[in-house]
Amino acid sequence: MKLQMVGCSHHRSGVDLRQRLAFTPAQASEALDAIRSQFPEAEAVLLSTCNRVEVYTAAEDALHAPSHQAVAEFLARFHGLKVYEFFDDLFERTGEDAVRHLFTVAASLDSMVVGEPQILSQVKQAYQLAADRNSAGPLTHAVFQAALKVARRVASETSINQKRVSIPSVAVADFARRIFERFDDKRVLVIGAGEMAEETLRYLQDEGATSVTVVNRSFDRASELAARWRGSAEPWERLLDRLTEADLVVSATGATQPIVTREAFRRIERERYQRPLFVLDLAIPRDFEAAVGDCLGVYLYSLDDLADACERNRRERDQELPAALAIVEQEAAQFMTDLYHRATGPIIKRLKQGWQQPKDEELRRLYNKLPELDDRSRAEIRQSFDRLVNKLLHPPLASLRDEARHGFPHALVEALKRLFQLKD
Amino acid sequence: MLAGIEIVCFAASYAVSLVLEISRLFFRSGIRGAIMVGFAGAGLAAHSLFLASRAYEAVDADQTPLSSAFDWYLLAAWVLAATYLYLAFYHPRTAIGLFVLPLVLGLVLIAALWADLQPFPVDRASQWWGAVHGLLLLLGTVAVMIGFAAGMMYLVHAFRLKRKRPPLRGLELPSLEWLDRVNSRAIVISVLMLCAGHLAGVILNLVNQGRAVDELPWSDPVVVSSAATVVWLLLAACFSLLYKPARQGRKVAYLTVASFVFLVFSLASGLVLPTEHRASAAPEAGASP
Repeated sequence: MKLQMVGCSHHRSGVDLRQRLAFTPAQASEALDAIRSQFPEAEAVLLSTCNRVEVYTAAEDALHAPSHQAVAEFLARFHGLKVYEFFDDLFERTGEDAVRHLFTVAASLDSMVVGEPQILSQVKQAYQLAADRNSAGPLTHAVFQAALKVARRVASETSINQKRVSIPSVAVADFARRIFERFDDKRVLVIGAGEMAEETLRYLQDEGATSVTVVNRSFDRASELAARWRGSAEPWERLLDRLTEADLVVSATGATQPIVTREAFRRIERERYQRPLFVLDLAIPRDFEAAVGDCLGVYLYSLDDLADACERNRRERDQELPAALAIVEQEAAQFMTDLYHRATGPIIKRLKQGWQQPKDEELRRLYNKLPELDDRSRAEIRQSFDRLVNKLLHPPLASLRDEARHGFPHALVEALKRLFQLKD
Repeated sequence: MLAGIEIVCFAASYAVSLVLEISRLFFRSGIRGAIMVGFAGAGLAAHSLFLASRAYEAVDADQTPLSSAFDWYLLAAWVLAATYLYLAFYHPRTAIGLFVLPLVLGLVLIAALWADLQPFPVDRASQWWGAVHGLLLLLGTVAVMIGFAAGMMYLVHAFRLKRKRPPLRGLELPSLEWLDRVNSRAIVISVLMLCAGHLAGVILNLVNQGRAVDELPWSDPVVVSSAATVVWLLLAACFSLLYKPARQGRKVAYLTVASFVFLVFSLASGLVLPTEHRASAAPEAGASP
């Protein structure tokens, strides 16, 4: 029995190489078919994301599983590369290490941004594709289903995937979503055309925001940004009008003085009727005077506030990491115990069958010798024989189970085979 | 005695749910949510059976089912608990129970300790206007309580957001927008229900005037305190209608909290002050055994 992972990830490979080795969904299907035809006895799952390309293979007989070199050659052939171009970037995990690695990946503990939620769906998709292409088998089914369970357990028992650490993601997930239930009916006003504002817009649009207005000193740049986000541009002079209507403001201009003062906001406050306004002031120095945050219904967050929240999340996530890794460790050990125990199934079956036959023969002989026995007595005797066989089998089976906790019990299985003359 | 044991059953289930809600503040658990909903569900099932058995007993004894103050409080607790269960199911990560379950337990406690167990006499309880009066007041009361819970959640949430504080572990609350919507609807529903309920009460009293049944003096403490609640709710509704900023945000939350305070005074007056708005104060003629 061999379970192996060969691949590369963001830990030791640059984005260029990862892109060259990556598979589109169509390519992944093709690759799985190719692996299947090259190694018909092996199971395979291919996980390809922007941060990793990993080929998981498994086979009941280690001889039928592709080696590290074979996987490297396959990748080279498929992508038209030379093996030496990436061989040093590849790493390998086998057996329990491979299981632990997959659990860590699925739980998003190995991601570039630890706790990011996309990886779980990517693992699911990779497994689903392998199942659809018939390249997954009993071992890969078991290990991937266990990985999905582990990821869910880590998510529910730790808060590791709830802790965002980038400014825009914290702004949207930790604050905007606590104010607004939905974003598709909210008016988003972007002041300035900075990179950070654009990144925040991406998160807002992921949440469903559709109505975007961009106001910038340069109308051309505002139009450009608005076109990219399917919004509308407005001239700088209409800033306060748009602010009156806005529900959510992302401000990131390069102004050296606040562009919205308390006095200016007071002029539109009446017309807003204290409707909630969420302001993300991502500019340095600030675009909104801090006193604007004292107005009723205004929730003003500066870059410093968000940076504090990011840092707090990072610290909390680091505190959660040991608990998450402990879950992975525990689940990996349990998975291997179950796997080894399952692997001893055939020998247990043969052992039981080996004892069943002499028991039946002895019973038959006894019944022939004692024809006067009624059905009740016969049943009683049969039960006694069954109990005797079970009691005799208990010690070797218990030893087998205990040994399987620490790995496949090769020596004990061999000893049992020889002692009880069990044939393969 | 049997009723007492059964009350303990569902009250204990709700209390366990509340303890589990509180435990969110201290540690995380993957299965707590399911256990919490399980206990609340079991409590609601026991609560339903208890009310059903009371209704059957009343029918057997030729009384109008669920017509005592005791039943009224337990029915209100049942509606509130069912609302909690619905919210806990659809918002499993939020600590709504922390605000709603104490109200459910409060209603059960009032029923168990102070409420009048004696049903209203048949000729009084079976009057159509009486049933409408009781039912609408019950729904209005529950609406005020839900509004109060949402209002408190809104104020806590807005306080933390204004001070840029991150979500407190175990005290995740629904968004301000959702709470705001619940608050506004609670105000509207409670105004409609309580006004209609009191109107039904007035009609009932007018119908009963001159009849041998019984008639409640207009100066009865319950009539006066509940009229004050209705007047307050009407003023609150008019204020919201005329003053646009009071239709959303903290002002609505304050209005719902204040409405709850009025409601508490109104209910307390029915329990504490000498009133004829009680089954036990009604004439014995026609009273059930």
